[in-house]
Amino acid sequence: MSKHVQDEKPPMTAEAKSWLEKEIASQEDRYKAIVEEQDGLIPEREKWYAEFLEIVQTRGFSVTGDTRRPIPKEEVPEKPDRPDAMRVVW
Amino acid sequence: MARPHMEPYVEFNEDYRLFDFAGYKGAHYKVLSLDTDTGASSLKVRYDGGYNRKPGLCYSDMEIFVLNGELKVGTETWVEGHYAFIPAGVALGAIEVSQGAEAIVWYNDSEPTFEESDRDHPLALKEGFISVNSYLGRPWASGSIVSPATATGCMLKLLRFDPITEAMTFLYCMTPEFMQDNISYHDCAEESYHIWGTSWMMQFGDLPTGGYFWRPPYINHGSFRSKLGCIAIGRTDSKLHNYFHFNPWTNPDDNQARAASFLYRQRPQLFQWVASGGHNHPHGPQGQLKTQKPPHDFENPAYGKRPDVSALANQSYTFREMDHLHADEYVHKVHHAHKTGDDHDHDHEHGHAHHHGDGDIDHKH
Repeated sequence: MSKHVQDEKPPMTAEAKSWLEKEIASQEDRYKAIVEEQDGLIPEREKWYAEFLEIVQTRGFSVTGDTRRPIPKEEVPEKPDRPDAMRVVW
Repeated sequence: MARPHMEPYVEFNEDYRLFDFAGYKGAHYKVLSLDTDTGASSLKVRYDGGYNRKPGLCYSDMEIFVLNGELKVGTETWVEGHYAFIPAGVALGAIEVSQGAEAIVWYNDSEPTFEESDRDHPLALKEGFISVNSYLGRPWASGSIVSPATATGCMLKLLRFDPITEAMTFLYCMTPEFMQDNISYHDCAEESYHIWGTSWMMQFGDLPTGGYFWRPPYINHGSFRSKLGCIAIGRTDSKLHNYFHFNPWTNPDDNQARAASFLYRQRPQLFQWVASGGHNHPHGPQGQLKTQKPPHDFENPAYGKRPDVSALANQSYTFREMDHLHADEYVHKVHHAHKTGDDHDHDHEHGHAHHHGDGDIDHKH
């Protein structure tokens, strides 16, 4: 079957279009609030990353399931010098 | 853009709004996320006591998960934990809510639409309809149904699986003291709503009850913890593959290139075909194939120089001519060509057997 119900959808109504525009604007506000909140977590996140890199060297990195591999120090990544290094919301 | 990265979003901090368009009037909603191009959406919906709606259909695939309360839907009663997938055009029975209910509702293809009807649309894919109480009617399975796998203690109940895209809808849970020490990303978008409990991810912190995320592909998440456990409903929009690593500072471009590097070395022929736009096969002399450069893998930057990887990437297969023609070329070829490409005479009477040369079989036009 090449045609689908979605292909026969009536055009978007004016009230639906108005609803959508309003909700897109609200979503943009929520997104900005999330970014701001997450940027505020950067100092704490720095600590979380440091703890994580310590754990993967001692208890090990979870490769799959419960299989762990301790990561040798020379394989541990270093923080890059780029502006998005601590960014988590994209 | 489709949907922005909404993570984490805790809907308990927001007020409900009143739905004010046909087929939904009287219900209240909160938008969890919204596709700005199509109007597809993930909503939390509240149906107050006394809410009712006539039988009808929607022009989008729909999913619903009942969080609490009770809805009568046609002849069925949907209570806490009920999950339904309603393909576009499948008519749902009349809805009646006597004491109130809350649900997560997804419109997968477009904005919510409603057309009063007690019959399915003639094009509706009815066989896709699912209606099940996920708490009572589906078993927990180990997270190892996906490989590489999550750690023991993360389990899931598969509610829907699309065989074409491998999109999934599933309940998942984490046991108390769950931990998984890796960073994950996927090729698919991923979505989750926390029904109860709190999980923690190293990038975003706690995701509590009522916490939600819509996460586009290739975004780092994890390591993972849950102190007291949690249960959530999740969805993916296509195949979920766990790419695990331990570099907290990679971005989606790094991750996507690394995912492509997996394809490059694990399915080299497919990679070359895709990277060349689907024309990486010999129409002419051998040697015209252009090998693509290995995508960057931040964990193994020199992998492309390994002899086995480079041998795989550089090999080309010669297929028999008729096996690799495009459909239109095939029609042409089977009627008018033979293997050597030499000119020859097609002036013959139809219906007589004749021969096109070495290796060709006798055939009739």
